[in-house]
Amino acid sequence: MPNTKDYIYLDNAATSLPKPPGVAEAVAGAICRAGNPGRSGHALSIGSARDLFTARERLAELFGFRDSSRFVFTENATGALNQAIKGLLRSGDHVVTTSVEHNSVMRPLRRLESAGVSVTVVPADATGTVDAAGMIAAIRPETRLLAVTHASNVAGAVQPVETIVRAAHARGVFSLIDAAQTAGAFPIDLSTLPVDLLAAAGHKGLLGPQGTGFLFVREGVPLVPLIEGGTGSRSEDDHQPDFYPDCLESGTPNSVGIAGLSVALAWLLKKGVDGIRAKEVALVSELLEGMRRIRGAIVYGPEDPSKRGCALSFNIEGADPGEVGRRLEREAGILLRAGLHCAPNAHRTLGTFPQGTVRVSPGPFTTRREIGKFLSAVKRIAAG
Amino acid sequence: MGRSECPEVVLIFRGTHQVLSAEKALKRGGVGVRLIPVPRRLTSDCGLAVRLPEPTLALALETLRAVPLTPASVHRLLATGEYEEVLF
Ligand SMILES: Cc1ncc(COP(=O)(O)O)c(C=O)c1O
Repeated sequence: MPNTKDYIYLDNAATSLPKPPGVAEAVAGAICRAGNPGRSGHALSIGSARDLFTARERLAELFGFRDSSRFVFTENATGALNQAIKGLLRSGDHVVTTSVEHNSVMRPLRRLESAGVSVTVVPADATGTVDAAGMIAAIRPETRLLAVTHASNVAGAVQPVETIVRAAHARGVFSLIDAAQTAGAFPIDLSTLPVDLLAAAGHKGLLGPQGTGFLFVREGVPLVPLIEGGTGSRSEDDHQPDFYPDCLESGTPNSVGIAGLSVALAWLLKKGVDGIRAKEVALVSELLEGMRRIRGAIVYGPEDPSKRGCALSFNIEGADPGEVGRRLEREAGILLRAGLHCAPNAHRTLGTFPQGTVRVSPGPFTTRREIGKFLSAVKRIAAG
Repeated sequence: MGRSECPEVVLIFRGTHQVLSAEKALKRGGVGVRLIPVPRRLTSDCGLAVRLPEPTLALALETLRAVPLTPASVHRLLATGEYEEVLF
């Protein structure tokens, strides 16, 4: 494994690197002493159950919700989104979503279409931003769910989730936010935002290990588990428990990864998400400013950095994005992602399908110096 | 874990998360508790239970109510080793 110090890592939208101090140590510690959480009554099983409990409590604190049992651990954002979508929608239901969703939303929805669920995809504008009014206008009597990404992983556009969620709530329609790109990087307060379901990865903005994620499920949302099995609770009963988090957490969890996630969450709570957001807005402003001055560089998404997440997509006129990515790595040690970023419709919206874009995504540990080096490298490549 | 002079009670909850939530709330509320494997005589569940001195039960239940958390059942450990359900 190459040392990340040899590189400038600007692929935080895919997974964050580096992780905060203590995360790797917590993972190493847990692999040496994590019993199966909540299964047995011995010290190492209880210890592992406590690690999960602490991580859940930290999630609840970070997202401003009093009952941590409503945060269900999943293996990634995809697992959380599949549980939310397939656990809620049934034949005859209608769902409204957007043209900038990740495949982890679109593919479950496309599968459900063949099972009698109808899907309306509301197009985003040329900056990748969806009009809340358009989503609300698409609501029908049989609409069960409004599903929207908080910030696009391609154009970076922040969506008007607050308006969309409140409108859904007022109409008795459930709402789902894909917070894969924003959890840990944007303040999200579940005590004031009446969203029903919120899915996120633990390994992106939450700065934990890969193989972690969560789904928040508000009380009263009738989710059917996608997976049934052992939970360590009510073992005398061969029916799935109906209480949280057990009903949606069958099988031995990724206790080792969650132990690491827990330390990352403590770090985020200490630093404060507001401060991280401010830092990332400053870095993105610098990126936008610098890119504007590079001839031949086309930047996608909103111009206003406060309307963007941390992912910024661009192209260099006449150049293949894959080749630009390869040159950035070879010539400047810059690691980022080029291509379609698992969101083909988002590229159709931006007019970048099928070639895709180059995506640069700083994180909380990115420095201004690294942004400067990145901009110089792009400038060199754009000059031919 | 012998039977002390002070009678003890065992609180059963729904799932490990509730047990750990109860433990956290009770410790904060100044109630001394211990986690024990659920006694087989009470349920065939393989989870954990909360054990505490009976004189602190009223305070414990009040503390839990504020969370809010309600035990599934409460049992008094008798000198004979048997359990007797406590209604609350
Ligand atoms: C918007 C969005 N949704 C969902 C995902 C899926 O995340 P994961 O890889 O953790 O399943 C990603 C990241 O790839 C994403 O950017």
